[in-house]
Amino acid sequence: MKKKWDVIIVGGGPAGLAAAIYSGRALRKTLVLDKKVFGGQIINADIIENYPGFAEPIVPAELMDQMVKQAERYGVFLENDEVAKLTREKGAWQIGVYNDTLEAKAIIYAAGSVIRFLGVSGEKEMLGRGVSVCATCDAPFFLQRRVAVLGGGDTALSEALHLAKFASEVVLIHRRGQFRAEKILQDRVFKNEKIKIIWDSEVLGFKGNQKLEALELKNKKSGTLETVGFDGVFLAIGTIPNTELVKNLVKLDENGYVITDISLRTDAEGLFVAGEVIKGNRRQVAISVGMGVQAALSCEEYLTSLE
Amino acid sequence: MAEIISANDVNFESLIRNSLMIIVDFWAPTCTPCRLMEPGLEKIAANHQENVRVLKVNVNECPKTSSRFFVRTLPTLLFIKDGQVKTQIVGAVNPNQIEKTLSEVG
Repeated sequence: MKKKWDVIIVGGGPAGLAAAIYSGRALRKTLVLDKKVFGGQIINADIIENYPGFAEPIVPAELMDQMVKQAERYGVFLENDEVAKLTREKGAWQIGVYNDTLEAKAIIYAAGSVIRFLGVSGEKEMLGRGVSVCATCDAPFFLQRRVAVLGGGDTALSEALHLAKFASEVVLIHRRGQFRAEKILQDRVFKNEKIKIIWDSEVLGFKGNQKLEALELKNKKSGTLETVGFDGVFLAIGTIPNTELVKNLVKLDENGYVITDISLRTDAEGLFVAGEVIKGNRRQVAISVGMGVQAALSCEEYLTSLE
Repeated sequence: MAEIISANDVNFESLIRNSLMIIVDFWAPTCTPCRLMEPGLEKIAANHQENVRVLKVNVNECPKTSSRFFVRTLPTLLFIKDGQVKTQIVGAVNPNQIEKTLSEVG
């Protein structure tokens, strides 16, 4: 891998890849780093129906594959690597990766978010043994079985609808008395005979021996406790921004999101942000793509000013 | 170049009875992260021809092996040596993370 770059983009999801396409077309030596696989969390979804420009539902992995190819077409390099350190020294950014240090004139930080866990007993131990974070990956394990989905947003309802194609029963467990997901998804969930809903309830623990067997639930209104049997549980209770690396470089809000203006510049010179690390991003591919484009344009303006 | 070996419920046991480190990749055709991880696993297999074998287990075709290890999430990687599971990684990871795990479990 080359050591010196014009732009290094941290994160290869929709925001990072959109930024990469624009940076590549600005003829900047651009590298995208992603610690997992390119495409971001959206590749775990089974379909996307609301990305403008496609009348029919599209497969997220195919959309993201196209973004990768589009970036590569304009000379962008993509590498799987984890950024361990980000510092600014002598007017340039130093990026510490596995066994190496890279240098860039500018950084576009689009590291996205990580899946939120409840942090209650048994959850981590049962991960991969009945506790899952990806319905499209794991639904076939639960053919004709009873599963729960935790959450009330777009992800939770989409996962419940996907799981209903496999499981005998899907129970959506939500801590509030109403969903915040798109109304069209709510409508489908309410009409699906396989999907039941437990409102106003939180999970206190995950029970099982070797594999998940039950959830301990508490109704927040009545205070009633009960243990309900499930073969699988899918977590969709939101995400946490991946901002640990930049927490001493930029302003973060109390939940760890980057505070920025519409130009997506930050207080740190040559550091731009995009996607789900930013306060107010509603976890939509279209929003992340737009932010990636804006960050790349602001970055280009900055690089031009150096010349 | 060392290739990834497709294992099944019949040959799995004989393939893991080996003094080399065995990485077992549980996958399914419907699992996108599994598909995206494949080039990385090929790289690992090629870089460690001497001391590591990489096996692929399609969970749809190998229910016995998947349930033996309580695999309920894809992708799942098991690191097995002398027939014993040393550690596992649940979820998609890049080749460097696999390298790191390999150096930890030896």
